[in-house]
Amino acid sequence: MLIYLDIYVVVAISLNLVVGYCGLLTLAHSGYFAIGSYAYALVTLRLGWGFIPAVLFGMVAAAVLSLFVSLATWRLKGDFFVMASLAVQALILSAANNWFDSSAPVGTWRNLTNGPFGISAIPKPAIAGIQFDTIGGVATVSTVLAGLCVLVTWNLLTSPWGRVLQAVRDDELAARGLGKNSRLLKVQVFAVASGMVAVAGAIYSSYVGYIDPSIASTDFSILMLCMVVVGGAANFRGPLVGAAVLLAIPELLRFVKIPDAMAGQLRLMAFGLLLVLLMHFRPQGLAGRYRMDR
Amino acid sequence: MMCCAAVTSKSERTGQSRVVLRTHGLRKTYGGHKVLDGLSCELHQGEVVLLRGPNGCGKTTLLNILTGYLEPDSGTIELSTDNTVDRMTFPRPWWKNASLFDHFTPERMAWGGIGRTWQDIRLFDSQTASDNVAVATPHQRGENPAWATFRPHAVAVQERENMASSRSNLAELRLAGREDASAGAISLGQSKRVAVARATRAGARVLFLDEPLSGLDGAGIADTIHFLEKLVELGGLTLVIVEHILNISFILPIATTVWTLEDGHLKVESAVKVLATPSTERFEDMIQQSQPDVVSSGRQELPGGAVLSTLAVSLPHVDPFDLEVADLVVRRGNRIVIGSEGLDGAPRGLTFRIRPGELAVLHAPNGWGKTTLLEAIAGLLPIESGEIRLNGRRIDHLRPWERARLGLSFLQSRNTLFGGLTGRQALYLAHVKDIPEGIESYLERKMATLSGGEAKKIALACAAQTTFFKVGLFDEPLTALDQKAVERLGRELPDLLGSGALLVAVPSAALH
Repeated sequence: MLIYLDIYVVVAISLNLVVGYCGLLTLAHSGYFAIGSYAYALVTLRLGWGFIPAVLFGMVAAAVLSLFVSLATWRLKGDFFVMASLAVQALILSAANNWFDSSAPVGTWRNLTNGPFGISAIPKPAIAGIQFDTIGGVATVSTVLAGLCVLVTWNLLTSPWGRVLQAVRDDELAARGLGKNSRLLKVQVFAVASGMVAVAGAIYSSYVGYIDPSIASTDFSILMLCMVVVGGAANFRGPLVGAAVLLAIPELLRFVKIPDAMAGQLRLMAFGLLLVLLMHFRPQGLAGRYRMDR
Repeated sequence: MMCCAAVTSKSERTGQSRVVLRTHGLRKTYGGHKVLDGLSCELHQGEVVLLRGPNGCGKTTLLNILTGYLEPDSGTIELSTDNTVDRMTFPRPWWKNASLFDHFTPERMAWGGIGRTWQDIRLFDSQTASDNVAVATPHQRGENPAWATFRPHAVAVQERENMASSRSNLAELRLAGREDASAGAISLGQSKRVAVARATRAGARVLFLDEPLSGLDGAGIADTIHFLEKLVELGGLTLVIVEHILNISFILPIATTVWTLEDGHLKVESAVKVLATPSTERFEDMIQQSQPDVVSSGRQELPGGAVLSTLAVSLPHVDPFDLEVADLVVRRGNRIVIGSEGLDGAPRGLTFRIRPGELAVLHAPNGWGKTTLLEAIAGLLPIESGEIRLNGRRIDHLRPWERARLGLSFLQSRNTLFGGLTGRQALYLAHVKDIPEGIESYLERKMATLSGGEAKKIALACAAQTTFFKVGLFDEPLTALDQKAVERLGRELPDLLGSGALLVAVPSAALH
């Protein structure tokens, strides 16, 4: 539970940087999450890397990929950007599904992702010789990492960089007229956000021990977007609240002891209802100040 | 094509100084309409240029091109604010557009020392006034995310210096005490000064000002003019000011050169030779010039320094329609905007009445709540207490569209047109039967592509010519209009008043 909260928090604050502060609606976020997970799984399994280098590798892989995507979508805005991000998402998903050859062992160039069967037996985190095998151990590591991400984001948003980001969000043309390179800024935001969500992906794969292409699905991207929108975009608290709320809903449903098959449907209904109610009564999100419809 | 190498005359200040910006043969065409036709000009350091011309002549287009927001079809721009010359030739070859680093953009012009302000100000509303200025400072280490993350100390040191000097910038503009106010909450006059501070902070050597005086009251105009003078004398800045006909007489004393843009060409004159048009700052004077039988009929002082003066036209027939506002209180948040707090803490409302056939002009200082009052009467804002009566019938519980159907016609000061519609569609939507003359040439164009003055004329027609019209509420109807359009409004006045009454809100006139 705490581990999931950590993962959701990292996911939500990183996505908020893109959606809230840049105003670019992206559906590719789960793709970067998957890149973090797969990168972590592969280098620990095949190359025997430690936890920290593996997480860093995932971050760099996701950030570098985001640079290529940023360059390609350099001029796109609004709906066109959403389409482009959907394309990136589809690309990553199909790579995860199809980079697969059953005759070769998992993790070789011919069978990088093991396709729909996924990668299993991913090792739990081990730092400096200490194994964090128990749930408590993984929770400690993930909380520390999530705390670090929150701290870095907070520091960035209160720095002059964050101030320029806010200025560009408020009025991009005016900011450009003051000599602020808004495109470079967006590339930076994308790299930071992708790197951060890759950390969440790495925590996920190390905790669950098994990953398959479903983590790169559009559904997951939309769940991520819900966290940001429900909590409130473009401010610091919003995604934290959103992550907690979206995690709490399924847990509450489990608590009232509804049969599993029904709970799954109910959960989706609850998400939908929550979104509709929020859009109507509190368009700025539960903890937000900045309205998405402005 | 006209060449400005022989600028007729300049004041001593700019006599020998060097050229900071030069253009040659600029052309820009919009859908077959030549806006700029081989325009050439030269800007010298320390010059103060007043740029004027009729509505739709391309003032804003020229401004947008010179500040990097719009690419001209052809021509050259030479920027030499420092000792190097940055020469841009248009049309740009395709390989330059393919390059990542060689673009014609606002940020490139800003790095070259070009700054601008907007007519609608465009501060960063979610930030404080001092952040608005501080954010503009170039070359901040903290703007690199790597520095911000890994060298927070070095960033913090530089940031402290930056904030301190930004705050002292604001203090120089008599904005001390307002540094931490949110930019969305400060008054119009203050935010215009913050915008200038922001532009100079970004390193502007040449500053383009788009209607810096519009919407300001007398005190605000005096402040701004004084400040602009200081910028030129102490800072050595070069200014290009676009100003509306109403306020040109305030700019002329500090201007050295006047550019008149007409038919895509620029006429350059010394400011000394251009006579100020007769002072027409007051709305009533302006109307009386074109409509001499208007007589002043009353004057009511309102709390907070506003004056409601009424004019009457002798008309053969007047529909008996009047507007009555009694004890009106409007709040925004906790602040009472319309009405005042009485001694016992209970709010006291605003009361006035406009009789049939009357033109009431509300002169109010900035921040008084003109727009709030009109929006409340039109039903766009909820009222706290009081009554609004149209022809004796209470309308304060009605929806805005119901009030409009009863004859209340609201012209907003902001541009609230539907950008995707053509002028003709907008007029149709506003129930305008007879298309007024003088706007046919751009009726079929989308509203978003019109110039400020053209859009205003259509908005005015929508508000004044609608078949529902009984009582008009016009918020600053003359901004962005040229002399001709103002005169036409004056001529149409008797018709308007014949069907009811008119309430016009304008900023208080300058104190002469």
